[in-house]
Amino acid sequence: MTESVSLEQQLAVQSIRRFLKSKTSYDVLPVSYRLIVMDTSLLVKKSLNILLQNNIVSAPLWDSHTSKFAGLLTSLDFINVIQYYFSNPDKFELVDKLQLDGLKDIERAIGVRPLDTGSIHPFKPLYDACCKMIESRSRRIPLIDQDEETHREIVVSVLTQYRILKFVALNCRETRSLRRPIGELGIITEGQLLSCNMHTPVIDVIQLLTQGGVSSVPILDEQNRLVNVYEAVDVLGLIKGGMYNDLSLSVGEALMRRSDDFEGVYTCTKNDKLFTIMDTIRKSRVHRFFVVDDSGLLVGVLTLSDILNYILFEEN
Amino acid sequence: MGNTHSRGTMSDNNKDVSMIDVRNTNDNDKRGSQRAIVQSFSKLDIGDHDGSRAPLLRRRSTLIFDDDDDAPRHEENVEDQSDLNEFESHISDSSSVASLQQQQQENPSWLKLQAQREQQDQEQQELQLQMEQQQQMKYQAPREPFEDQSGSRSGSEPPVNSNAKVMVPVEITWQQGGSKVYVTGSFTGWRKMIGLLPVADQPGCFHIKLQLPSGTHRFRFIVDNELRFSDFMPTATDQMGNLVNYLEIATPYESEEHLQQQQETLTVDNESHMLQQQVPQPSHKKQFSEPLSARSKLALQIEEEPDDMGDGYSRFHGAKEAKPDLSYTTDIPAVFTDASVMEQYYLTLDQQQTNQQSMAWLTPPQLPPHLENVILNNYSVSSEQGDSGSENNSGSLPIPNHVVLNHLATSSIKHNTLCVASIVRYKRKYATQMLYSPLQ
Repeated sequence: MTESVSLEQQLAVQSIRRFLKSKTSYDVLPVSYRLIVMDTSLLVKKSLNILLQNNIVSAPLWDSHTSKFAGLLTSLDFINVIQYYFSNPDKFELVDKLQLDGLKDIERAIGVRPLDTGSIHPFKPLYDACCKMIESRSRRIPLIDQDEETHREIVVSVLTQYRILKFVALNCRETRSLRRPIGELGIITEGQLLSCNMHTPVIDVIQLLTQGGVSSVPILDEQNRLVNVYEAVDVLGLIKGGMYNDLSLSVGEALMRRSDDFEGVYTCTKNDKLFTIMDTIRKSRVHRFFVVDDSGLLVGVLTLSDILNYILFEEN
Repeated sequence: MGNTHSRGTMSDNNKDVSMIDVRNTNDNDKRGSQRAIVQSFSKLDIGDHDGSRAPLLRRRSTLIFDDDDDAPRHEENVEDQSDLNEFESHISDSSSVASLQQQQQENPSWLKLQAQREQQDQEQQELQLQMEQQQQMKYQAPREPFEDQSGSRSGSEPPVNSNAKVMVPVEITWQQGGSKVYVTGSFTGWRKMIGLLPVADQPGCFHIKLQLPSGTHRFRFIVDNELRFSDFMPTATDQMGNLVNYLEIATPYESEEHLQQQQETLTVDNESHMLQQQVPQPSHKKQFSEPLSARSKLALQIEEEPDDMGDGYSRFHGAKEAKPDLSYTTDIPAVFTDASVMEQYYLTLDQQQTNQQSMAWLTPPQLPPHLENVILNNYSVSSEQGDSGSENNSGSLPIPNHVVLNHLATSSIKHNTLCVASIVRYKRKYATQMLYSPLQ
């Protein structure tokens, strides 16, 4: 019985992989869609408002002097600015007047390695786009094409790991055959997870985000039970309106700034099947699953890249 | 920082984004009388469709609405000079800001005006007629089926021109096996399933011929009770992210070959060009094949010598030699490039309007109605719309009417930030790009 389940899972993963190879990034795009692009001479604080207004967490940047794609603006950039300001509180003027093209200087000043701004052509297989994302450890990949006449770059769209997995969940019947418990697959990140409690200062949590290179930090109570999570995208709400003076808040207080449409924290157990996980991805905007045991103690985390990694490279 | 697209604005005033900014709806209320007249105009044409003319309208599709039919009455009405003046004043009073895309849109008629400055008297009248027609078009806008667009989130299909009653036969085939195959799609509102017939001698092949209106149709197949999409047809994701097949059915054109050629030359990038060509071509065609519509008459009057229009058109294809003093050019008239010439031109224009409101030219002409429907305004931010919105995290928008492609829409400038948007084709899909940029 378990053998046939394993075999089915193996075949299903291979089939999904074939699907990813047969489709292109272009196929994931709706017939009509919007894309919000920001000029690199825009002020950082204004770009934050634009993200919040449009309910997005990242946007491609455009350098109008060179007519070139200039990377992606993500929550990580704002985290960098926060950290810079926290260690240089006298530089408020600089932070206030900071333009998007000045973010590179901030990265240099606080000594973080700039993210790889890898991109891919929309007509390359989806599989390649996924591999590129896993390689560069980024959660999104810009689709860049060239204009046929001017040969200048066009930013076509940006794909995220979530969109690709949702696309798979919606369009691959084979996900139904993924019935092995995720605990068996070795895809969960276990062991010493970074975590905090409700009283941890939010700035410490933000530092944990960058130190660990993670997109969220679980918040635990005294008994190590999962009570909430602080996400990288939550910093957008924290510094809304250019308010950098709220950095002394505790993470619990900072979470009060979160908008009402917060999806919630998704958990699963080691006995859940990948099929159930994919089904949840299909239905909800979820970016990671915290793995808990029966008593609610946190035992690990299953990220979208863990799932993508498994589909791309395992079960050969 | 400016709420150029803030949630509040989106819900309170759907028209905030861009093209709509040039219109001041309140003006309508201030001028009850004019409005009543215009309304009566726009009512006139309802049900006024002449069967024999239907193909023409279809050919022109959504570029110009079906005001051909009501234009004759409208012309009769405006022979009264006092009526004209009323409209004139309406135009000069209403609206405020010139937006970029409006200029782009209006250039054809202004160019035309410029070309015939000598025919002043004539022109004066024509200008009014033209403006008035725009005015009229504006009020016709509500009849256009744009509401469909907002509804497309729930699966209904974006606009198929209401005029396009004639269906196009479309063969839909399924080549990927199964025993019972149905097709369902936007053309049945995703409710009805249409059975496909097996193709003789080709196992696993099914087909059905459907009569579909022109436009974009999305559909999926139900193969042995399973929703599938065909690998042999274009695919795209819907708002939920499901892969669906889609077909774009071109508007059927009249069989005249030159029209087809002409259509082929009008490539994707030429939308704006198309608008410019719009005026001369239809009138030429009708001149030979159909009784003249009012719009054509109008166009001909503008040129004063009707034959020139025909010649001009033929010359476009290099068939006949035309009069030398009328020719197409790519040079921008000085009136648009040289500020002093422009000023001179408008001052001259102003002096001629002694008995009417002066400085009427200061106000930009009305925005054509099809540009008022900005699909970005149909985009709802998820938190506002509950579940339906949060599903739409791929930035999916309704399918735009092709006439709005390659126009530049702008938001009002707030907090020194300008947002411009343009809908362009990317291969067989539509990308609505919004660029936020500071004013420098």
